[in-house]
Amino acid sequence: MTDTALQAPARPVAFRLRFGTGWQRPLGHGLMILLSLLSVFPIYWMILTSLRPENEILSTRIWPDAATLDNYAYALSAIPMLRMLVNTFVVSAVVTAIQILTGILAGYGFSRWRFRGASLLMGAVALTWLVPLQVVMIPNYLLVARLGMIDTLGALILPHTASAFAILLLVQAMRSFPSEVYEAARMDGANHAHILWHIVVPNLRGTIASLAILVFISTWNEYFWPLLLTRSAQNSVVQIGLQMFITAEGTQWGPLMAASTLASLPILAIYLVLQRQVIASFMKSGLR
Amino acid sequence: MSFVSIRNLQKSYDGTAVLHGLDLGIREGEFTVVVGPSGCGKSTLMRMIAGLESVTDGEIRIGETVVNDLEPAHRGCAMVFQNYALYPHMTVAENIGYPLRLARVPRAERDRRVREVAEILGLESYLARRPKQLSGGQRQRVAMGRAIIREPKVFLFDEPLSNLDAKMRVQMRTELRRLHRRLSVTSILVTHDQVEAMTMGDRLVVMNGGRIEQVGTPAEVYARPASVFVAGFLGSPSMNLFAARTADRGAVALNGTQTADIPFDAALPAGATLTLGIRPEDVSLAPQGQHAHAGIVDLVENLGGHRVVHVRMGDVMVTAIVNQLAALREGQPVSLAFPADRLHAFSAKTGARLSI
Repeated sequence: MTDTALQAPARPVAFRLRFGTGWQRPLGHGLMILLSLLSVFPIYWMILTSLRPENEILSTRIWPDAATLDNYAYALSAIPMLRMLVNTFVVSAVVTAIQILTGILAGYGFSRWRFRGASLLMGAVALTWLVPLQVVMIPNYLLVARLGMIDTLGALILPHTASAFAILLLVQAMRSFPSEVYEAARMDGANHAHILWHIVVPNLRGTIASLAILVFISTWNEYFWPLLLTRSAQNSVVQIGLQMFITAEGTQWGPLMAASTLASLPILAIYLVLQRQVIASFMKSGLR
Repeated sequence: MSFVSIRNLQKSYDGTAVLHGLDLGIREGEFTVVVGPSGCGKSTLMRMIAGLESVTDGEIRIGETVVNDLEPAHRGCAMVFQNYALYPHMTVAENIGYPLRLARVPRAERDRRVREVAEILGLESYLARRPKQLSGGQRQRVAMGRAIIREPKVFLFDEPLSNLDAKMRVQMRTELRRLHRRLSVTSILVTHDQVEAMTMGDRLVVMNGGRIEQVGTPAEVYARPASVFVAGFLGSPSMNLFAARTADRGAVALNGTQTADIPFDAALPAGATLTLGIRPEDVSLAPQGQHAHAGIVDLVENLGGHRVVHVRMGDVMVTAIVNQLAALREGQPVSLAFPADRLHAFSAKTGARLSI
């Protein structure tokens, strides 16, 4: 029925791995524990290294002998870490907001309007997904340079104002929204803008939240484009800041791990708070 | 004078015609039921009146206005959808009041009218709930509330009862009729359910294959079906229809039976083919030998108040309705009679009713 379709995205599908019964069950759980340890270990090691004093930095002991926050203090003073975190947050938040806005508008157009060349245009949008960054890197760089935007946060945002992924995901969600509800709103006297913002969007909150999480995380982790664009540490993002600890003279492992820990904290927080939604969004997008 | 008038209405999708020039007039305040099998074009007709489908050719007039090119909201129609189409994120009160909110009716006035409508429909205690917290029948009422509050000139109901369970359907059927009596607004209801059609409509419009087969009161349509399709479609169990030919003047022979001819006064030449029909309740069933035609009871369906008996007569199956008292068992020989004044005749070629 209608309602089931509308309520579906709210809760993610529960993971139910079946390992059968008897001896298969402990074996299955053992395998899962092993895989979890493999995934968690690098994070543990990063935090562990960040807490080690400089003379023990390459120690292979699994427990720290003496914990110190020196690396954090150094990392925060060596590069404008807080400023970079704020920059990264601003860029990620703005990109997320804009991509969702353009995605919603394009999604409504593609899902509700029949116009000549619609499927061609939709195909073109889908194809842009297949174009790797390396192909558009130089034209985008030239464009940004001509606009005089090199070394600005705006330049980090501009090429990401629309994404095929966001559009396709929202087109799909809006197509599965019951057409009778659109029609009921039309009969009640609502125009397209009203239908979109007051009827469709409030009912796609689950999908939009999932999309927002995915876009935010991928923008936060972006490295290559900011590397091309930024010149000064003040206008840089945290992923570039990390790279500053890897120099020709060698890698400063302690501060690098401390900065990495700081850089991953916001994402970690998102995972912890929105765990269910994050898993759901990865599953929904087929990225699992 | 018709209030909703449809003239030569046509609809085609990519060159394929689905409505072939319909003409229909609906009087003001009348409850009209459009009935027909799936795919007969009844929903398309309703959606065209509502403005949700464009008109390929012809004219739709509501009151004095030709509405062909008017937006759905400006036609003065309110529609209740099959799956209710409530706004899932709004409460019952917000759902009902939504058309007024769009029309920028002041909040106090809006609240007052929402309460009024809720009272009519018995929804007062559900106003703060969301659609998913309601039962099917309650959702249906909310959908009606959203239609009523607009004070439309025409109500359109698109199979409004088909998502309800059997008991609720019967209850809502009566409620809808009562509501219509109270509001006296011209209403058009589309259904494929013949019981709904027979019980609810002041007038029936029977459709088939994108054409109107017959328009009339339920009693008229039942008593004098205009075509073999209408005869077979309305009535449960449906009318017995036999391929037949005229034997000689004043009698017809049913194909596939060896029994005597049926007295029948049709102005047809001997040997002409036709379809003969008789309703199951008009077939007389008696112990062997009493009537002219012999048969064997094939199956007895006990429906509580009466029984439906399927009788084999040569190669032909006849359905009859008998009361509970008659003692009947499967395999029992019986005799049947087809009273001449209860017979219907249709052209074998066109299916149209032949005057007797």
